[in-house]
Amino acid sequence: MFNLQRLLVEKIEHRILVGTVSFLAIMAIVGWIAINEGGRMAAFERQYSARSIERGAGLFANNCSTCHGVDGRGVVGRAPGLNSPYLFGHDFLAELNAEQAQLESERNNASTTAERLTEIEARLTEIEAEKQVIINQINTALANTGGSYNPENPSRLTNLGWGGGLYNFVYTTLVHGRPTSSAYWPQPMAAWAQTAGGPLRNDQLADLTNYILNWDKGDDWTLEDLYAVRQFPIVPADPTTIVASDVETVGTDAAAIVAELGNYQGDPQNGMALYTGALACAGCHLNASVAPLTEGTWTRVNEARLADPAVQALGITDGVHYLVDSIVAPNDYVVSGYPAGIMPQNFGDRLSYQDMADLIAYLQSQDGPAQ
Amino acid sequence: MSVLPFPSFLDDIKEKGLKRAVFEGVNEVVERLTAGMNLQDIREALRGEAPTRKPNPRLQPHADGFWLHMRPSYFHKSVTGVYPEFRLGWLSTYFVFFETITGIFLMVFYTPSPDVAYANMLAIMSNVPLGQFVRDLHRLGAEAMVLIVTLHMLRTFFTASYKKPRQFTWATGVILVFLTYFLSFSGYLLPWDQLALWAVTIGASMFEATPPEIVGTNLNLLLRGGPEMGANGLLRFYLLHVLAVPALLFVFTGVHYYKVIVHGHSLPPKEENIGEDTAKRVPLDKRVYFIPDILTSEIMWIGVTTLILVILVTWFFHAPLESHADPQITPLGTTAPWYFLWIQGALKLGDKVLWGIIFPTVYVGFLLVWPYIDTAPSRRWAHRRLQMTIGFLIMSFTVVLSYMGLAEFGVVNSADITVMHHMTMEPAHNHMGTLRPIPFEQLQAGMYTTREFAVEDAAEAQSAVAAFNAELELPPPWLQGQADAQPVGEMVLAYLDTQHLPLTRLNFTTVPSASPELREVVEEFEHELELKETELHNAWGVVIITDVQENLKRIDVMILWEDVVIENGKVVFDAEGEPVLNRDENGNPIIRMNSQHIYIHRDSQYFAAPGA
Repeated sequence: MFNLQRLLVEKIEHRILVGTVSFLAIMAIVGWIAINEGGRMAAFERQYSARSIERGAGLFANNCSTCHGVDGRGVVGRAPGLNSPYLFGHDFLAELNAEQAQLESERNNASTTAERLTEIEARLTEIEAEKQVIINQINTALANTGGSYNPENPSRLTNLGWGGGLYNFVYTTLVHGRPTSSAYWPQPMAAWAQTAGGPLRNDQLADLTNYILNWDKGDDWTLEDLYAVRQFPIVPADPTTIVASDVETVGTDAAAIVAELGNYQGDPQNGMALYTGALACAGCHLNASVAPLTEGTWTRVNEARLADPAVQALGITDGVHYLVDSIVAPNDYVVSGYPAGIMPQNFGDRLSYQDMADLIAYLQSQDGPAQ
Repeated sequence: MSVLPFPSFLDDIKEKGLKRAVFEGVNEVVERLTAGMNLQDIREALRGEAPTRKPNPRLQPHADGFWLHMRPSYFHKSVTGVYPEFRLGWLSTYFVFFETITGIFLMVFYTPSPDVAYANMLAIMSNVPLGQFVRDLHRLGAEAMVLIVTLHMLRTFFTASYKKPRQFTWATGVILVFLTYFLSFSGYLLPWDQLALWAVTIGASMFEATPPEIVGTNLNLLLRGGPEMGANGLLRFYLLHVLAVPALLFVFTGVHYYKVIVHGHSLPPKEENIGEDTAKRVPLDKRVYFIPDILTSEIMWIGVTTLILVILVTWFFHAPLESHADPQITPLGTTAPWYFLWIQGALKLGDKVLWGIIFPTVYVGFLLVWPYIDTAPSRRWAHRRLQMTIGFLIMSFTVVLSYMGLAEFGVVNSADITVMHHMTMEPAHNHMGTLRPIPFEQLQAGMYTTREFAVEDAAEAQSAVAAFNAELELPPPWLQGQADAQPVGEMVLAYLDTQHLPLTRLNFTTVPSASPELREVVEEFEHELELKETELHNAWGVVIITDVQENLKRIDVMILWEDVVIENGKVVFDAEGEPVLNRDENGNPIIRMNSQHIYIHRDSQYFAAPGA
């Protein structure tokens, strides 16, 4: 009978042979693995970052898409687009600028011939015109978009004076949120990191950042991508440059405002622009779980609110008075089901009488059935 | 006269010549290192010749050396083959050292903190040359060690080697078995992935059940360092894993080994008279000396075993690494490590205190004192029928309990979750959702339905999908004709919107012929729904693939069905054997919807795990 035990291990020289062969085989396999480690590690890295993006996509849909849009292009009046050439600093004028710079340096070169100089001047004028065409195109296309975008300063990081890379910009923003943004957005961006009191772990923030950066198209960004962005960042005013405006603001005395409004003619179109743009009312009033819907406001005011004893107790008997009071002193009366103190209290210091008249005119046009 | 003011090696050279002086110097060093064997002795031993010096220099290392003082200087010939011991005891010790060495390698790259532990694992996988290799070896070694140690205990039981005078050797062995389990268990947590967190959470929650409550609560606090598994818990498990348990293990291994020297290896039962123990009286012709026979044999086995492990981790086994631990999300199908499944199974029998604490304690206690219960002198199988029966009963009971510990047993998930989980689950326990391994280019954006595969004839697939699209334009049959009835398609769109998938319209098509693997998955989806049609009445499923980013797709799996009455986890049937439907106040069936979605990146490479 074939006896493995006898064949392999009974004689000492067999044992030495089997043992030696085993050790050599181990060394050969480990050597072979070691040679391939570079490739394996790179493959793991690639696979892992891909899965990180997948997880980031899930986190984005659950936590970020309500404000930044499911496609990351921003929500008007609420939060800026991230799937945007602006965040990634893509310059649509880059090629023309490069040519311009090259020509200008050639022009300043003493050895350039006069003939060539004329050519250069002609081309420079052309470039300037071509640039202006693109700039005009962009400005026209983005006229109705929220926030600001300047084709000549196309990088968010540069405009912010951010010293680090984009990854760290996104990551740190996620960690701490944008507490000061409540001054120019209806809601501040919350701090998302557990270390800053938020709900997400650091590895989840890394996943989210990887997902957001995966929107980068490098050199392949198109103008269509730019036009698809619904909202650009709002650049807050530099406090040192603010001078006292000579426009009179309305203050907080609703009855007095209503009396004064008689002298103004409201423009609903301009009211809508204020509502969805500069004042960003729409950021909250488009979602019934956050604030009463814009749609049907005027009907609701006349049919429901004015009938409410709490409103009557304030001495409010007509719709315009109610609206004005709700804007300049939101906590006087809070519709049941919503918490007090959510709506900014400072509209009285921000609105001129004309703005107020426009807003009221716009809201009076919302007389459809309330959903 | 010496060249130096004291006798030195240089004098030796002057006196004997360089060659001889060096040889004698080396020879002396070797003799000291081996505690008694010089070069000539070693050469003779390795050639299989008899020793030429007296006293026998091959016994010196056992008498004077540290390392071999724990090994007998000769074995009985009957215990040197593979049978009857299968080298299990030796293998257990081999794994202690193997795990120590691979473990120290991993320790270099590991920090026991929830903030970085998982990132460390990723770094070991992606940035440490041979990192994955050593991690796989460590994990495989751990599982093998648990298995080997258990088998070693079983072998000892069946050859009755625990009998007098080896009762205490057996008791230390039982302690070593459970130390091994706990060592493996404490290491389970360290990667800080979902598998680790939840397996250990289940294990650790048993300690909480210890009565009375004040003991359980505090035991739990001691072990986890807080009410939940967190930074303190991880640090404690790490210290248990690398310090406390190994220290105990080494102590008990020492005792266990010393007992083998004192009592000798027990011989196969048939070679001794009943009630006799002749292990220490080995006749001269039966002696196999440790040096050279056992020693070369053991070194050879180190080579062979390591080679087997290296081959396994190179081609057949990779240590699992799931996604980052998340105390908020309990994965479906969570189980304890396999060697603790029997406790998890026992917990399903009822009371947590009885089955989670008292039962395992009695079990271990019973094993510890078994040699003092079974004191009958005979080791022959024929004389141990009762003992063998008890042994087999306990083994069978443990196997059955382990089976009951599996997630498949006694844990009922609703049918829709089960079907969708089967398609979408993250890789875990050697399984992954069927959608994940589909090649990326086959995931063509579009809307696909199981209705395509619900028809007998493949030629009708096209019209079945068209009919489905038409059906979605209408309200459910029982609401048709009512003015304000919502079309089914709109209900679906509204539902998907809540899942952050805003679609403007539904338009289903057949699965493209260029996507055979996607086709298979949707077809299997239909079969799964058919299998569960009593629970998922009139169900249909859809798979919707959308482009999210250039290299990223989103896949939504959705099931819509008519709700049936379920009592105690079972569908209720009426007199005609049809499932009873849940109905609203107007007597109409209630439509239910559920969905899950995953994202797939071009590079994420979901493959079936090796060995799955």
